[in-house]
Amino acid sequence: MSHTRSLVTRRTALLTGAGAIAAPFVVTTPGFGQTGPIKLAGLVSLTGSGSPFGPNSRLAHQAVVDQVNGAGGLLGRKLEYLAEDDQTNAEAGVRAARKLIDVDKVSAIMSVWASAVGTAVLPLCWENKVMLLGISAADSIAALPHQGYFVRTQPHTELQGREFGRFILSQGAKNVYLMMPQTPFTQTVFDAIRATVEPKGVKVASTIIDGKKTSFRSEIDEMMRASPDLFMMGGYLAENIVMAKDLFRANYKGKVIGFAFGITPAFIEGAGKEAAEGMYGVAEPAPAGGSAAYASLKALVKRDALDTYICQAYDHANLAILAMAKGKDASGTGIRDNIRKIANNDSAMKVDNALDGLKAIADAKEIKYSGASGPCKFADNGNIIEIAFRTTQVKDGKLVEVKS
Amino acid sequence: MLEKVLQLSLNGLMAGAVLAVPAIGLTMIFAVLRFVNFSVASHMAVGAFAGYMLNAWAGLPAWIAIFGAFIAAGAVGIASDHVALRPLRGYSALTLAIASIALNLMIESAIRFSFGGRPRDFAIPLRRDWSFGFLHVGPQQVENAIIAAVAMALLFVFLALTITGKAMRAVADNPMLADSKGIDPDRMARLAIGIGMGLAGIGGMLVGLDTSIDPLVGFRAILSVFAAAVVGGLGSIPGAVVGGLAIGLAEELSLLALPATYKSAVGFLAIVVILTLRPQGLLGARASA
Repeated sequence: MSHTRSLVTRRTALLTGAGAIAAPFVVTTPGFGQTGPIKLAGLVSLTGSGSPFGPNSRLAHQAVVDQVNGAGGLLGRKLEYLAEDDQTNAEAGVRAARKLIDVDKVSAIMSVWASAVGTAVLPLCWENKVMLLGISAADSIAALPHQGYFVRTQPHTELQGREFGRFILSQGAKNVYLMMPQTPFTQTVFDAIRATVEPKGVKVASTIIDGKKTSFRSEIDEMMRASPDLFMMGGYLAENIVMAKDLFRANYKGKVIGFAFGITPAFIEGAGKEAAEGMYGVAEPAPAGGSAAYASLKALVKRDALDTYICQAYDHANLAILAMAKGKDASGTGIRDNIRKIANNDSAMKVDNALDGLKAIADAKEIKYSGASGPCKFADNGNIIEIAFRTTQVKDGKLVEVKS
Repeated sequence: MLEKVLQLSLNGLMAGAVLAVPAIGLTMIFAVLRFVNFSVASHMAVGAFAGYMLNAWAGLPAWIAIFGAFIAAGAVGIASDHVALRPLRGYSALTLAIASIALNLMIESAIRFSFGGRPRDFAIPLRRDWSFGFLHVGPQQVENAIIAAVAMALLFVFLALTITGKAMRAVADNPMLADSKGIDPDRMARLAIGIGMGLAGIGGMLVGLDTSIDPLVGFRAILSVFAAAVVGGLGSIPGAVVGGLAIGLAEELSLLALPATYKSAVGFLAIVVILTLRPQGLLGARASA
């Protein structure tokens, strides 16, 4: 009796042990256990400098996910959307990304805004085979060994720098002063501006400031000594507000330009209409205003006008969903391997939303997703190809688009 | 060159005068409770937002809103200390300092939750600088320096001439002796926290009047504030004033030799230098063995 009991116990132990050894292999086999929801995440800036844009990104993501779930989901499964706040801060962004990757097991992280956050989070993504569809524009990000787990819809910063250079030349400026806080893209932007304007005889001086300080009065004094006819105030929202006030106090009379993401309605409110008046927001990717995708998004989120970032977030969600559908693979690798098949194929049937794209894919048609932020075509390193910029200006306390 | 040095010095003195106010708060709390309370940063934000509500929402003049900033930051300081730090009083200074960092994060998050993260502007007119020959200074900077000077003067009068102020100094000098004389150390601790955090609140509002406010308004200044307190001598109120002015000057004059992006490093450097050469600070008393 005792012999039988002993045999059963050993067999049970062996089976249990074998099962434990086999379990990791079984659960990582493609197709096994794919019955739960497909998880997509937004790592958005709900606080910090990117906070004017993060809530809109979350809104667009959720709207697309709800739309697809309402039509029956993707690959026979529901989509689940999770949003985390990166606080426009690399350290907080990494913590949030770790949670999304390790705990929530998401397939894609979308719409990371700040370059510092994108730079910090991308290695986590490629190491865990999670796709990053980003906004972060620093050139250095695309140069990381990301194995294809990265695309971005925001033009990289060298392109933005060249656009600044073009705008400076269009204004006839002869003596330019550039001031930016330390960021992963500051030097790239400075170099691109110099490369564009110096051959045309424009004199350029530049300073990198400590963006964490509460005042830039002495830095503005230094700029005033150079008597520039055009000043580039290249900060995020908080730095720009302080610099704009200091410029007003110092009675600076030249033209002032800045990144469009730092010259916003919140900037005008923070700096005051008097200080902000006349300033230009440059190098903003122009949303594809006349596109069907833009109209679809307007209807979806019930807004009359859309900025580039909500358009990019909408495109991220659509691209991720369609890439998974195209490859019949809901993993990050599935998105990586198929995103260019649905984004770069100009000869295919054009679609501007996930529902139409899913229907076309189900009918075995080739598709080309054309987005609300632009054509959405990607180079091998993840950079966006084909981009249009727009310029805005503060006039009578309001931000209006101007020709440049 | 002389023109540049003088202008940087003027900017540094104006910035230093504002820094000195929360630095006094930090050092005052240290003098009585013997730990560095880093939640001074969030109390700067509490004061700034309280002042903002009174000024921008209720329409009160900025100089009246300053009182609101003092009272609100002081009250939040006493309440938050009672809940979060007082139960830890028996632990080491390091434990309390770390707990104060956690408290700081909680208060900043509460402000962000209540007001959002975007910068806000006080309802005061933006004015051009005044020029004096080759020097210029902003009217708001001058007003801030005057407000800071008045706040510091009132504090010195309170500590030097009132019975309560003298009792607080007695607790700071020798808590056991003060206790034996019937001075309630708990009451003095609450008072030190209330006044110290109130001063931090004034500092936060002064920074906001010259720039703008957001939940991190104090966080951005805390390194300079801490450096000012250390340079002057932790626990020394006149030292905090000297330290504030010294750090303000050093940060601005550093632009003569260093790129502007290293401005924050000046605070670190000052802490390292002073702790190496004169650990008790410029005006602090050497700790007895």
